[in-house]
Amino acid sequence: MGQLDAVMGNPATRRTFLKGTGVLAASGFLAACRKNVNESGAGTAPSSSIGPIEDEPGVLHAHEWAGYDAKWLYADYLKAGYPQPKFSFLVNTEGALAKTAAGFEWDVTHPESGYIQDYINMGALQPWDTSLMPNFKHLNPVIEASGQVDGKQYEIGLDWGYSAPLIRADHLDPTLDSYSYLFTDDAAGHISWFDTPWILQMAAIAQGMDPGHSFDMTDSELEDMKNYTIEKGQKNLYNIWVNYQDMWDDVQTGNVWATYAWPDAYVALKDKVDVAYIRPSGGTLAWVEGLVLRSDTQNYHHAHAFADAWSSATVGTKLISNWGYGHANLDVDLNSIDPDVVKVFGLDDPEKNLSEPQSYLDRYQANRNAYNRAWNEVKASL
Amino acid sequence: MTIHAPAEIVTPPRERRRRRRGTAKVNLGLISIPLLWLILFFLIPVVLVALYSVGLLTLISYDKYLSLDPWRYFLHSSTYLGGPLGRGLFWKSLKMSFGVSITCVLLAYPVAYMLALVAGRRRYTLLLVIITPFLTSYLLRVLAWRVLLNPQGVIEAVLRNAGIVAADGNVSWLFNSTFAVYLVLAYSWVPFVALPIFVSLESLDLQMLEASSDLGASRLTTFRKVTLPMSMPGVIAAFVFVFIPTIGEYVTPQIVGGKAGYLFGNVIQSSFSASFDWQLGSAMSVFMLAAVAILLAIFGRYLNVRSVSE
Repeated sequence: MGQLDAVMGNPATRRTFLKGTGVLAASGFLAACRKNVNESGAGTAPSSSIGPIEDEPGVLHAHEWAGYDAKWLYADYLKAGYPQPKFSFLVNTEGALAKTAAGFEWDVTHPESGYIQDYINMGALQPWDTSLMPNFKHLNPVIEASGQVDGKQYEIGLDWGYSAPLIRADHLDPTLDSYSYLFTDDAAGHISWFDTPWILQMAAIAQGMDPGHSFDMTDSELEDMKNYTIEKGQKNLYNIWVNYQDMWDDVQTGNVWATYAWPDAYVALKDKVDVAYIRPSGGTLAWVEGLVLRSDTQNYHHAHAFADAWSSATVGTKLISNWGYGHANLDVDLNSIDPDVVKVFGLDDPEKNLSEPQSYLDRYQANRNAYNRAWNEVKASL
Repeated sequence: MTIHAPAEIVTPPRERRRRRRGTAKVNLGLISIPLLWLILFFLIPVVLVALYSVGLLTLISYDKYLSLDPWRYFLHSSTYLGGPLGRGLFWKSLKMSFGVSITCVLLAYPVAYMLALVAGRRRYTLLLVIITPFLTSYLLRVLAWRVLLNPQGVIEAVLRNAGIVAADGNVSWLFNSTFAVYLVLAYSWVPFVALPIFVSLESLDLQMLEASSDLGASRLTTFRKVTLPMSMPGVIAAFVFVFIPTIGEYVTPQIVGGKAGYLFGNVIQSSFSASFDWQLGSAMSVFMLAAVAILLAIFGRYLNVRSVSE
């Protein structure tokens, strides 16, 4: 049943194998008959005629990840008397972008920070007015900086995590402190990757490249990393996981000794088997997701109240404890969180731990196609 | 007594024309709905995908351009058809699809034969029994195979307990392998293959079989010379039923194929989703559509479908 849950019900479903299937089929047709988002492609400034909240329709439309409709995530919003938002669900950000381009309407959605620029390019976003959000001042400025474009706050960064090796400490030496766990011959036949071009970046970092530069490799560097990844993959890889619970199972059963993972895997497995989550001190890749605001939303104030509810410390504490995701609020109650989890997330000093050179947050990559095509070649070569 | 031949009833030309027009209208009415369906849900989507592949349609409207770059990249890049890797992947998909289709036909034929010619009045009940598991979600069935095939799954556990596999060993080809993809695809499609063969066998004129027997043919000869040729339209339809969808398959390889199960369909899927590269994905889709159409034309010619069906 676990596998089924993974596909159907869990918030992390977004990273499962279902990537894009239904959404793309629908959006393909919609895209052809679309209502244009914004022909200019420029980010839209907030409407100069934002009316009072009383004039708004009131039922917010949130285009969210499956599971993110849980009421505790916006409990303060409901408590304040706002009507229950209407949810539609996205399977992945690429699919959500495609649907948006095709004319699908929402008031807020929840992309990774690396895709904010794509939404802005299609004219779908307007910046938030953070003065309308009392909780904003409690959010980690490092995370919020990742949501800014041209000095404007286009995304309220909320949930975050690292992308780093999780290892079976009973099979591998846990003191290596490097992404090289994901390529090492010592774990031949027991390495698992996630289906993402970030593996190429991890290979580059393991080879000594500056993590910041790994987001913008030259063609020849990318070619080198592709070849290295193919060589190591052919020799040492067990599988490329698409469903996180399958990966958890594989780690637990010993099929996999080293895997690309988010901290939630550590939270889920630490009491079952001897695992270690390795955040390479030379720089760890990290991702941020948060709420963005539609440029032509009719629910401007409701959207701000909703994002503010999501930003509360209570939600943060619960998100970390229950789901093993990080949260941007700096006032989360560390006493109620497992000390192991505090350590793995670096919650004792999240500002420092999420800043460079400790961590390198996801960002817009203009040459994303080159990375994707190289990654496709890796997968085809294994 | 003179017997008069009955007078020939001659329909006046005007009446004939009226009847012809009436028949034409009925035919048009009958064909219009499937034709409309085909145009709306096949022809137009294919044209749209083709337009995406040359940039005349793009996801972001201001980014329209007319260019053959996606096609050039697809045909010349070493990742795709320009290199042995891409070509190898395409051939791998073709071989897989061909193998699965043949396997399905071979497995389904005896089942369909039993149902149509041996099971008698219970045939539809048995047909329902065979189809029942396939009324559940495709995804669920594939995931169930994952549970069976994985190294900690039922099959390997049995093999270990029986001493066929060492206690700390595993059968590496059973899971995360091309074999696993092949097996699960064949399992998934067998009932759908059995149906057209069943229909074709059920409509056989049994007098032909009796005539063959009366003329001294053995059961095997009757099967070889009468039953099999007469059921070939169903067999060919069944083959095509499997071949077309499996050549673009990407879900099953992703769930049970591991790194070895990556197929051409996965590259297309990846282009549309993670890579967000609809132009390239569309070019590959159109290419695959054309390749399948050509292959089916070749199959049709080679198998001489028309003569078989006549």
